[in-house]
Amino acid sequence: MNDDLIWHVRAFIYQHFVETARPPTVDETATQFGLTREQATTIYAELGQRHAIFLEPGTHHIRMANPFSAIPTTFRVHAHGKAYWANCAWDSFGIPAALHTDAMIEATCAENQQPITLRVENGQVTCGAEHIHFLVPFRRWYDDLIFT
Amino acid sequence: MLLFRSEAALERWLVKNNYARGATLTVAQVWELAQLWYHNRLALDYHGRSIEQVQAIFQQLGLTASFWRTEQT
Repeated sequence: MNDDLIWHVRAFIYQHFVETARPPTVDETATQFGLTREQATTIYAELGQRHAIFLEPGTHHIRMANPFSAIPTTFRVHAHGKAYWANCAWDSFGIPAALHTDAMIEATCAENQQPITLRVENGQVTCGAEHIHFLVPFRRWYDDLIFT
Repeated sequence: MLLFRSEAALERWLVKNNYARGATLTVAQVWELAQLWYHNRLALDYHGRSIEQVQAIFQQLGLTASFWRTEQT
């Protein structure tokens, strides 16, 4: 598989997330690049192998292109005139970092599910006494990315 | 990575779920980490990063504990 094409597909997936708040299907990617469905599926699998995206296990559906999530989570990020789902607390800040923009983050406290609002304004965060906890050491993050 | 309103809320959650404490960062620290980690994620020439590059980011933020090491040592 052509490496240059693989990285162009990766960039397309991210741009699609930015513009629509969801990942492209393999059919949409195939159409974009003039590929067969099988070729697009193979590229998705290759990007998954390289940890560039994370596919829903056993499928060719994109679950994550960090920091973006394809499924609803407890981290809703309002930025760039859109609302995105982030995979975790870190990724909720990853979205404004990737977009180089301000953001309003609607999240919940993991202990009691009470709402928490965080903001990135002019490159600075406004927050209270919140903490973000990393349960899994870095070297094991990819053992089970959903749990991580 | 989960968000907690306070240190006390985190402690209650760890006890309730019988989890060992991992690493805890402030929101400001995570914002710094997110900027270093994701600032070029949309670029065509972003092809992931090496273990050495990951380690350099952690070190830049003072994350030098074994929790942040990139290999079993």
